[in-house]
Amino acid sequence: MDAGRHPLIDVVTNAEVISCEGEPGDFRARVRKSPRYVHEDLCVACGLCTDVCPQVGGNEFDVGLKARKAIYRPFPQSVPSTYVIDPDACLNLYGCLSEKQRLKLEKIQKLKHRKKDDYQPSLLACGHCLKACNVDAIDFDMRPEEFEVDAGAVLVAIGFKEFDARKLGNYGYGRFPNVVTSLEFERMLNASGVTQGHVVRPSDMETPKRIVFIQCVGARGEGGRPYCSRFCCMNAVKDSMLVRQHDPEVEDVTILYTDLRAFGKGYDDFVQRSKDEKSADYVRGRPAKIDFVPEDDTLEVFVEDTLGHNQRRIPADMVVLSVAAAPNDGAKKLAKILGIEVDQHGFIARRDPAVSAVETTREGMYACGSAVGPQVIPDCVAQASAGAARAQLFLTGHRVEEEKEPVEPMDLSGPPRVGVLVCHCGINIAGLLDVKKLARGAGVIPDVVVSKTHLFACSSAGQDELVKMIEEYDLNRIVVAACTPRTHEPVFREACAEIGFNPYLLEMVNIRDQCSWVHVEDREGAQEKAKALIRMGIAKVRHLQPLEAGEVPMNRSALVVGGGIGGIQAAMDLAFQGLPVTLVEKTNRLGGRLAEPNVKYLYPNMRPAAEILTEKVKRLEASGARVLLNTEVEDIKGFVGNFEISIKGKTQETLQVGAIILAVGADLHDPAGEYGSGKLSNVVTSQDLERRFFDLDKGGSLSPDGGQPSSASFILCVGSRDPEGFTGCSRYCCPTAIKQALELCKKGIDTTIFYRDIRTISFGAEEMYREARGHGVLFVRIPSDHKAEVIGDGRATAVRCFDDLLGRTLEVPTDLVVLSVGMKPRQPETDRFHDMLKASVGLDGFFLERHPELAPVETVVEGVLLAGTVQGPKDIVDTVAQASAAAAKASVFLAFDKVKLDPIVAAVVEEKCRACGTCIDICPFHAPEFVEDPPGVTVARINASLCKGCGTCASWCPSGAIVCKHFTDRQMHAMIDAFFDEEPEPVAVDDAKEQVAR
Amino acid sequence: MTDGKKKRTHVIRKPPKAPPPKWNPRIVVFACNWCSYAGADTAGVSRIQHQPHFRMIRVMCSGRIQPGFVLRAFERGADGVLVSGCHFGDCHYVNGNERAVEQFEKTMNIVKLLGLEEGRLRLEWISAAEGARFAQVINEFTDQVRDLGPSPLNGQNHTEKTQTEST
Repeated sequence: MDAGRHPLIDVVTNAEVISCEGEPGDFRARVRKSPRYVHEDLCVACGLCTDVCPQVGGNEFDVGLKARKAIYRPFPQSVPSTYVIDPDACLNLYGCLSEKQRLKLEKIQKLKHRKKDDYQPSLLACGHCLKACNVDAIDFDMRPEEFEVDAGAVLVAIGFKEFDARKLGNYGYGRFPNVVTSLEFERMLNASGVTQGHVVRPSDMETPKRIVFIQCVGARGEGGRPYCSRFCCMNAVKDSMLVRQHDPEVEDVTILYTDLRAFGKGYDDFVQRSKDEKSADYVRGRPAKIDFVPEDDTLEVFVEDTLGHNQRRIPADMVVLSVAAAPNDGAKKLAKILGIEVDQHGFIARRDPAVSAVETTREGMYACGSAVGPQVIPDCVAQASAGAARAQLFLTGHRVEEEKEPVEPMDLSGPPRVGVLVCHCGINIAGLLDVKKLARGAGVIPDVVVSKTHLFACSSAGQDELVKMIEEYDLNRIVVAACTPRTHEPVFREACAEIGFNPYLLEMVNIRDQCSWVHVEDREGAQEKAKALIRMGIAKVRHLQPLEAGEVPMNRSALVVGGGIGGIQAAMDLAFQGLPVTLVEKTNRLGGRLAEPNVKYLYPNMRPAAEILTEKVKRLEASGARVLLNTEVEDIKGFVGNFEISIKGKTQETLQVGAIILAVGADLHDPAGEYGSGKLSNVVTSQDLERRFFDLDKGGSLSPDGGQPSSASFILCVGSRDPEGFTGCSRYCCPTAIKQALELCKKGIDTTIFYRDIRTISFGAEEMYREARGHGVLFVRIPSDHKAEVIGDGRATAVRCFDDLLGRTLEVPTDLVVLSVGMKPRQPETDRFHDMLKASVGLDGFFLERHPELAPVETVVEGVLLAGTVQGPKDIVDTVAQASAAAAKASVFLAFDKVKLDPIVAAVVEEKCRACGTCIDICPFHAPEFVEDPPGVTVARINASLCKGCGTCASWCPSGAIVCKHFTDRQMHAMIDAFFDEEPEPVAVDDAKEQVAR
Repeated sequence: MTDGKKKRTHVIRKPPKAPPPKWNPRIVVFACNWCSYAGADTAGVSRIQHQPHFRMIRVMCSGRIQPGFVLRAFERGADGVLVSGCHFGDCHYVNGNERAVEQFEKTMNIVKLLGLEEGRLRLEWISAAEGARFAQVINEFTDQVRDLGPSPLNGQNHTEKTQTEST
C-alpha cells in the first residue's frame, strides 16, 4: 500500500523485462506489460464484474483452495486495487488473442459457416462484465504494451516458489487429499483465508484431530536441494500454536524435525513457550513414508524417532508438509536477460555472499530477498533496504526535488460553514443506501450550508465538484461520505491543499467499506448507520482546527558509531551518495571483529578476512567519509535532523548531524569457569582458536600446550540458549565451529562437535556441514537440558556427555577443547547509548528494532538506526546487509533539507500542566520532556518532531493538559454525542438548501 | 445496456432474509487506525456481512481511548461499547495497546460501579487482516448486548449532567 501510494514509485504489474542494455548508472530496460483488460485508472474496484462473471477457476492466492472468477481481484489488499481478467479462463477468447491469432480464428469460423454469407463471428462470446461495469473500465481490445525504462540500477526481487512435494512420492502429496503443504495450511489458518481460520481436512471438511507436521520436505539433502529453507521451522511452530488456539478440537500436533532452527531474535523463547504450553509434540526424525488407511480415512506416518530410539507409526488425520523454497521459474531466464548469473541451485548468484548480501555478478544490478536464497522476513526486509542503498549510488544527481508552487492559504476563520459530499461510488453505495436522502438529511443539520451527492467523489470530476462547492459556498469545513479514509483521505486532502484549503479541516465518513458493503442484509439498519456516521462526521468537523505541517531544518550529514564491518559499510554507502559522514571508532584501527587476529578465513568461500577488510577499507577511503580513530562519543542531544554530538578524541568537537547509525557491535560471552575454562590449560574459546590459526603461520602452535593436538572437541552454545543467561541463538557459532573443525580435520586432527541443534542457516553453511560430515568430523547431539562436562586435572583429557542419539553417556578423549562462545550486548556502550539516545533495549539486552518485520533497522527514536550485532547476534553477511539497510533508511531522512512533521501530534496546554511526569513515563518515543518556562515554573513540553501522534499521553494526563490534535477530547465527545442526538426528519427544507441538495 | 445492473439492484432490494429483531442496541466501537479499523475495512472488501447497529469512532491508537470516552458513550445512552486495537506486539506505537488495557481495566471498574453489566463493555484485538474476525466479534457482541436489553442508563435525563461536564 505504501509503495503503491508513493509519488516516486511506479508499480507496473503483469509485466516482465524482455531486454536490458547499458551500463551501471544508465540501463535501458524494455518492459512488456501483458494486458489486464481493465483500465487501472478507471476501475473503482467495485466488484460488480466478478458478480456477473460466469467462469469459475482456482484461486492462485489461496493455492487453489478457493474459487475465483475469470475477472477477479487477486486478493483484497492487492496493489493496484484493479480487477484483472484471466485470459485463459475468460470466455471472450477472441478478445484476448493477438491480432494474428484472431484473424486466423475468424477465418476458421467463417469457413465453418461458409454457407451463411453474411456471417460475422462474435468477438464477444460473453461480455457480462462489460455490461456490468459502470465506469467502462473493461476493454477487450487491450494489447500487450512494450515500453522502455531508463534506470540507474536494477534490483531483482523475484522471490521463490514452493518446492513441488509431488516429487517426493513417499509422502503421497497429490495422491492423498489430507496431505497438504504448509502454504495451503497457512491459507486455511488465515482469518481472511479460505475457511476463515478453521483448519479442515480437504477430504471431508472435518476438523482434523491429529495433525503431523513434516519439516525439511525437499530441503537439506532431500529432493536434490542441499540448502536449508530457514523459515519452515518457525512457521511450523507458529502454525501448531495457532491451530490449537483456534480449534480446541485439535488434540495432537506432532512436529517431525531434524534440527529445530530457531535462530532469529526471540525465536528460541517462542519455541520454549510452545514446549511449555505443550502445543506440539516434537519428534526428531524424518519419515520414511506416509500410508493411507482406507478403513477410517486417516493417514499413518512411519518415522524413526531418533531420540526415542524406536520406530513409530504416528496416526494422523492430516499431514502438513513444510515444503522448501525453490528458485522461481523465471530466475534463469531473467538472469540471462540481465546478464547476471545464477548459483548452483538456481537462485540469483552473488559476487561474494560473505562481502555483500545483495551484489550480483554484474555491477549496478542487485538482488534481495528470497531471489538469492530462502530468507526469513526480517532478513528480507533488511536486504531489500540494503539493495536500495546500493542502487542509490547510481542515482545521485537524479534526485527528484519535491518543490510545489506554494498556494496562498484560504481564510477559513469564522463560524463553521460545512459542506457535505455524499458519494454514490457507482452503485457500491447507492445500490444499498439512498444517498440522496442521506444528503438531504445532512443538509438540515445546523452549520451545514451545502450538501450534495456525486457519482464518484474520488474521480477528477468529483474533486472539481468539491473545489467548486468550497468556492461557491465559502465553506470552511468539508465532510466527504464515501469509502475508507485509510485509502482515500490523502486524495481529498490533496485536492483541498491544492486550492489552499487547509486539508485538516476535512473529515471522511466511511459509508462504503464499513457500511454498504457489509450490511446488505439489513438495508434499513445500514441507512440508519450511514445517517448517524455522517452526523458524527459533521459533529467532529465543526471542532476541527486547521493544522500546519511543521518543518525543521535537516542537517544533511550522518554519524556512524563504530568502525567494525557494519560501521564501515554504512559509512561508505552514505558517503558515496555525497553526504558528509563521520565515522567514530573507539580503538586505533578499523575492522572490529573482522580485523586480525580475530578471524582468519570467512565461511563459506574461505576467503581470508584480511583481504575482504582491506577491500572494504579501501572503498571507505575512496568514499570520502571522515574517519576518526581513538574517538568516543561523549554526549548526544537533539532529535532527527538536529542531533548535536560531542565527541572526544585527539580534540574535543561538537558535530551537527541529521541521523545516527549505531554500529557498536557486540561482545563475546566470557566463559570464565564454565567447562573448566581458565582452570584447564587446553580449554580455549573459538576466538582463541582463530588467533592460534594466525600464530600457526608465525611458528606458533594450535594447542596452548604446544604442538599439534591429536584430537579436538568443540562445545557449541556456550553462553547462548542458556535459560539463565542469553536465551537466544547467536547464529554465527554453528557455521564458525564447522569451519574451524574442517580446518583442524584437514590437518589430521580428530574432531568432534557437541551440539544441541546444528543451525547452519547462512548461505553455503548447510553444504559446509555436509562436507564436514564427509571429512569425518563427528557430531554428538546433547539434549537441551544436559550440559557436556570437561574432564581433566590441570589439563582436559576428555569430554563426557549424554549422547541423545545413542541414548547413553559417552566419554570422548580430547587433546583440545574449543568453546564456541555466543554473543552478548556490548557493555558499557549499550547502556551508555541507551541513556543518551533513549532508544529501547530488548529483554535480551540488545537494542530493539522498531518492528521486526516492518522496520528491522529503525529504532523508536526517529533518525537513529541500527547496523549489525548491536541489534542482535548475526554473521558478517547479515551485518553487512543490515548496515546497508541502515544507510538506506538514513538517506531517506537526509535526502531533504527539511524534515516534514506530521501535524497530528500531541501538545501540552502549559497553563494546565502540573509537571507530574506521567506523559514522560509512558511515551515510548520520549517526546515529552520537562522544561522550565518561565524560569522556576516546570512544565512538560512535547517535542513535535519526536511525537508520533498516538495520543496515549492525552488519555493518561491526569490534569487533562494534553491535547491530541485532530483527535481532541472535544471532537471525540462531539462524535459520541452526535450518535445519540437524533436530528429532526428533513420535512420542511429551506428552499436554498433544497436547491443544492439534489 | 444494464442487464447486469438491473439484476444486481434487484438482488439488493430483496427484503431482509429474516425479520429484524424488535429491539436493536446502540453500540459504540472505538478502533485504532492501523489494525482494528483496517480490519473492519477488510471485512468490507471481502463483503463479510455483519449487523449494522454499531458506529465506529476512529483514533490513531487504542492507547488514546480514555475512560471518559467510554463513560460518555454510556451516559448518552449507549447499550454497549467495544474497544479494539492491535494484537500485542503489533502496535504501531510500540506499546499503546498495553496502555489501552490499563485504561480499559479502570473503565471496567467504573462501569461495574455504575451498576452496568460487565457484558456491555468489551476489549478485542483485531488485526488488519482479520476481516472475518471483526464481523464475528461485532455479531457476537451485538447479540450479547441485545440479550442484556437496553442500558439501565438509557432514557434518563442526562442533559444537565452533560452540560456541566462537557469541556
